[in-house]
Amino acid sequence: MIMRRGKELLLPANPWFIWGSLLAAMLLNMLPLGRQVWMPDLLALVLVFWNVHQPLRIGIATAFAFGLAMDVHQTSLLGQHALAYTALSYFAITIHRRLLWFTVPSQAVQVFPLLAAAHAIEMTIRLAADGSFPGWMRALAPVLEAALWPVMNVLLLAPQRRAPDQDDTRPL
Amino acid sequence: MPLGTLDRTPPPFFKQGPSALSKLIVFSALALFLMVADMRFGVADPLRAVVAAMIAPARWLALQPVRLAEGAGDYFQSLSSAQSEQASTRDKLARLALKANQVEELTQENLRLRQMLELRERFGTTAIAAEILFEAADPYTRKVILNKGLGSQIEPGSPVIDEDGVIGQVTRVHPLVSEVTLITDRDQSIPVLNVRTGGRSVAQGDPISQHPGSLELRYMAANADVQVGDLLTTSGVDGVYPPGLPVATVAHVERRTDSAFARIYIEPKAGVSRGRHVMVLKALGEQLPARPPAEETPQPAPRRGARK
Repeated sequence: MIMRRGKELLLPANPWFIWGSLLAAMLLNMLPLGRQVWMPDLLALVLVFWNVHQPLRIGIATAFAFGLAMDVHQTSLLGQHALAYTALSYFAITIHRRLLWFTVPSQAVQVFPLLAAAHAIEMTIRLAADGSFPGWMRALAPVLEAALWPVMNVLLLAPQRRAPDQDDTRPL
Repeated sequence: MPLGTLDRTPPPFFKQGPSALSKLIVFSALALFLMVADMRFGVADPLRAVVAAMIAPARWLALQPVRLAEGAGDYFQSLSSAQSEQASTRDKLARLALKANQVEELTQENLRLRQMLELRERFGTTAIAAEILFEAADPYTRKVILNKGLGSQIEPGSPVIDEDGVIGQVTRVHPLVSEVTLITDRDQSIPVLNVRTGGRSVAQGDPISQHPGSLELRYMAANADVQVGDLLTTSGVDGVYPPGLPVATVAHVERRTDSAFARIYIEPKAGVSRGRHVMVLKALGEQLPARPPAEETPQPAPRRGARK
């Protein structure tokens, strides 16, 4: 396998951590913070992240299942989030070989169209279903999600960046 | 941690599973099928109930930090604000007690007069107290989740009120929670009566995005007698909401020369987005006698894109 220039060697990802982070993102999405139109969808972001980094573990089926859970939680149309997350996951798997060659800020820029497309799918579904429009503040959500990509990169890769042998100078 | 070897078996040569594209097609089709089943035929409810039961622990867990923060906020609330709150509550209670005593007498009087006039008696309403757990995060609708469900005999279609007026209607009931669509939801309409003039009309939620969280009085003639500040109550003609509950006050009237209808925006009376304790009433329709069979009328052609 060709190593990307400047890429650090990572420890293998722990499946427990992957699923735990997905569940934590779902819990954060479920926090009862009221109806905020611009609220970023953290679950979508974490799904894209693992689709890009571990496409053999987290695939389209997982995205679909989490989408259904979000649909039921948000009392929205059943299948709305499921479809958006399915498409998101497909696009993420499509670009996963290419994306990791870029620097993290440039990855965020390239992930933005994906997230925007997922929100556009949801909006199209609702416009077609009952013509409800949430307002232009909704466009802020994918921007915030893309802005969170570098943060996710640090948080979710932290366990894989640990030293193989811990010692006093490198406790993590 | 010792460095492990490969964390999975190497990918197989021949059995590679379905491709991403075929998975995309299958799951998209499934999602579309679910949407149609949910919206048009309403057959997706069992699946919704199953998923709701599965995510119930997560929902409960997500609720705890906010509950904790609210509890801490209440605890550290200053003495003076607690005292002023108590004073205002006492004041309100005294005024309500006066009203309640009068109501008893008036009910008796009303009953006797109705018997004299041989009118039907007014329907009593039974109520279940419930608490709002959280506001649904879906930015396309306006719903809240109550902490009581099938287990507490909540029925779909029941009106929900708080101390100031109507907040909405129960639209879906799960075993432990139920969903209330607020009157400010776009698909929700409520028949109202203008207390000042006695004129009836229909209020519909979320007219445009410039007036979020308000309602609109639909199909009112441009010269209709509606003034800013008019109180609108439920009219009771729909057989769902009991008559006389406050709904909204008129906030803005726009009369245009180029339109036969006036644009009237109204503000909900009840704490549609801030209340906590609510009452779930029994829908009036279940107490009404059966309707006479409707006469056959030719159906107008369905409007394009109209909801079923």
